[in-house]
Amino acid sequence: MHLTREEERVYDGECGWASKICMKILVRLGELFDAEKLIPISSAHASGVSYKTLGDAPTEFLQALADADGKAKVEATTNPQSFDMGYLSKRFDKEVREKQLKVLDQFERMGFTQSLTCTPYYLKTPEKGAHLAWAESSAVVYANSVLGAWTNREGGPSALASAIVGKTPEYGMHKAKNREPKVLVKLETLLENETEYGALGILLGKILEDKIPVIQGLENASKDDLKQLGAALASTGMTNMFYTENVAEKTGEFEKISIEHKDIKKTIEDLSTASNAKADLVFIGCPHCSLDEIKHVADLIGDRKVRDGTELWVCTSRCVRAKAVESVKRIEHSGSHVITDTCAVVTWTDRLGIKTIMTNSAKTAHYAPTLNRAETIIAPMKNCLEPALKG
Amino acid sequence: MQLITLKGRRIVEGYCKAEALVSLKPISFLGGVDPADGKIIEKGHDLCGECVKGKVLCFPHGHGSTVGSYVLYSLAKKSLAPKAIVNKTADPVVVVGAIIAEIPMIDKIDIKQIRTGDMVEVNADQGFVKILQRKES
Repeated sequence: MHLTREEERVYDGECGWASKICMKILVRLGELFDAEKLIPISSAHASGVSYKTLGDAPTEFLQALADADGKAKVEATTNPQSFDMGYLSKRFDKEVREKQLKVLDQFERMGFTQSLTCTPYYLKTPEKGAHLAWAESSAVVYANSVLGAWTNREGGPSALASAIVGKTPEYGMHKAKNREPKVLVKLETLLENETEYGALGILLGKILEDKIPVIQGLENASKDDLKQLGAALASTGMTNMFYTENVAEKTGEFEKISIEHKDIKKTIEDLSTASNAKADLVFIGCPHCSLDEIKHVADLIGDRKVRDGTELWVCTSRCVRAKAVESVKRIEHSGSHVITDTCAVVTWTDRLGIKTIMTNSAKTAHYAPTLNRAETIIAPMKNCLEPALKG
Repeated sequence: MQLITLKGRRIVEGYCKAEALVSLKPISFLGGVDPADGKIIEKGHDLCGECVKGKVLCFPHGHGSTVGSYVLYSLAKKSLAPKAIVNKTADPVVVVGAIIAEIPMIDKIDIKQIRTGDMVEVNADQGFVKILQRKES
């Protein structure tokens, strides 16, 4: 890999241990993937923030980096943690709370914005064509496919290293030739709601491996539908991008795949694992809700109240919550919780006694059986809210 | 015995002589290795119950969560890390882990030539592994 003189100085440790070790990570990864050089990034988004998924091992390294004056050189944001500072934090014991806060402290010392969201694009939308080093897989697909930014699917450590160096090795999704579609997916059915778009993602992730598809039939999809599609796609496969038909240049020979209504129906059936139809938790907000979604939830709830014995969580980022004051007030009036900084998947729902989770998110339905040891029921937002509400 | 030298590629520089611990299965450091004692705990793994401490750990490649890199760092801080890592194909999780934990690492090695218990020399700077002594069978 070719390094500039300035990069070599960092590599040799002239700018301190923190940037040296981060530079070394980027250079070695670059060599591994045959990158020829490093390129500047406009932002980095780090995963590996939730103590639930991290455990104890990473704290020492994060602390060593912060102690050595490791500082983010570019706009840097963080993925969700394992509880919010209000409702959920009170429900876990002091020890895990302190361990989680210690992780957050290290990111804060390194100059990361405590965004604590899987949707950093609502905080600041990257420009089209901007190079990023983002680690949250759902945000990676959204950035590449919907926002037109360029990012690989980073891991926690490589996104952190990129934040501190301000660069990423140029390989994979940072090169135009690797962003060309290889498969034509023909939707033979009209998808009707966000859950069906999510199911399409789950299904395609398994079929495509890492190939980029052009998907025909997404003309009516909203950005929130595409968010569900991308999040699910990344959960079951390594594909980091999809094209909707109108933006794809049709060049070369495509492998063709047809998706029919029965395929979507079967995928949805397989995602619902619950033996009884009653959920302890109804969860909306995977990925974190957009402003539109929060408003939609508030409208659907109306004046109704949450049933006793059921929890209704609407998860979003601090920045969206702050913009949705009126809707948040209406949702919370019903007895449901608008929760920031975390979500059902990265918190310990099992410790709260939750055995069945109902959600509109295919990504959550895919992960909850293993990560939450919960059974799942999947349905569109409207159908999720109905059984949770009185009247 | 004729000394066998296997040529590979340097990933993290360093040098050591130690006993080999060889697996033909990928290792996930998150969930697969106990950070408290360095033992492999993944059920059904061919090295389950073995401790990686002080060994030249040979395996095809890593898999699983990128948090696994931090497990290698944590092991090193407790002096429980392997002395060197020898892979068939390096992957990002193990590479990053070896860099931050400062564990010498080589890849592109035909690990089937090495057997658990062999005494091996790892020269990561020059990118080779030498089998110094076969385990007596």
